[in-house]
Amino acid sequence: MSVATAVAERYAAARTDPSLVETAIWVEQLGALAYAAAADAPLSGAQRDRAERFAGHEQDHAAAFATMLLALTVPVRVHVSDADVDELMPAVRGDRPRAALEVLAELEGAAIAGHQVLARRLHAVDILRTAGMVMGGAAQHLVVLRTDLGRPPTRAFENGL
Amino acid sequence: MVRLSRRGFLGAAMLGGAWLAGCGSRGEPVGARPPADAVRARILRAELAAGAPVVGSPLAELTARQDVRHAARLGAGARRASGTADLATALARKQDAVFTFVEALPQLPDPADRVALMQVLASEAEQIAALRLADGQEPVPDAFAGFVT
Repeated sequence: MSVATAVAERYAAARTDPSLVETAIWVEQLGALAYAAAADAPLSGAQRDRAERFAGHEQDHAAAFATMLLALTVPVRVHVSDADVDELMPAVRGDRPRAALEVLAELEGAAIAGHQVLARRLHAVDILRTAGMVMGGAAQHLVVLRTDLGRPPTRAFENGL
Repeated sequence: MVRLSRRGFLGAAMLGGAWLAGCGSRGEPVGARPPADAVRARILRAELAAGAPVVGSPLAELTARQDVRHAARLGAGARRASGTADLATALARKQDAVFTFVEALPQLPDPADRVALMQVLASEAEQIAALRLADGQEPVPDAFAGFVT
């Protein structure tokens, strides 16, 4: 299963505001581990340095959504493991930098698509401010990844798909 | 598990605090929402300001084309962004648009409008990063598209 499919299926299965936010946390935690793995190998140089920073950004995104979950009076029990990365994004531990960048771009796109699911389905709409900020960060990560992949960096209407 | 850096913790606390400050004990907004038409007008003003063609960037044509489409999607009709902007001004206006769009998201009652605004918001955030990158600047200086710099 591709990581984009896994993210989409998790959002489709979420039925409540807390479960939607938990899905958003899961995606950001996955991103943090995936960028860290890609920074260990196969990325190098400036791409490696940026992956390390983006891993920190993903942690910040997860923390922001975790705060939203606590605001809904729900404890944070989301936990992504290295096994999830191995299953869904093995390329970040491979030996091909381009394959790692491609799957990281796929994850960022899936994250953005998920944030737009939040815009459509959340009842506690004030959480959308946080979702908007996080999505803006994801979109900026995507520009860097697309540029490294030689793809057009921006879209007029970014839906992540 | 969520591992919090100090900066991440402060950012998350700030974001959470901002949300909580706007809610009553049941999570309902304390203040009345502004009329949707007023929100849409504010969004369009921000987009038209952000859409002034950028001077001196290799991405000028690309961003100009996209900004015309943003304005049309946001209801500009025949109105177009006027004048031009140097890179620093363009980046500042686009950042203002991102701030305006994020603030407006919960104020739009129609979910379809919220999704459309998010797609433009993401595009403007992308343009900021792409314009910086093309200029040799750090494209993503913070985790939240300019909210914690």
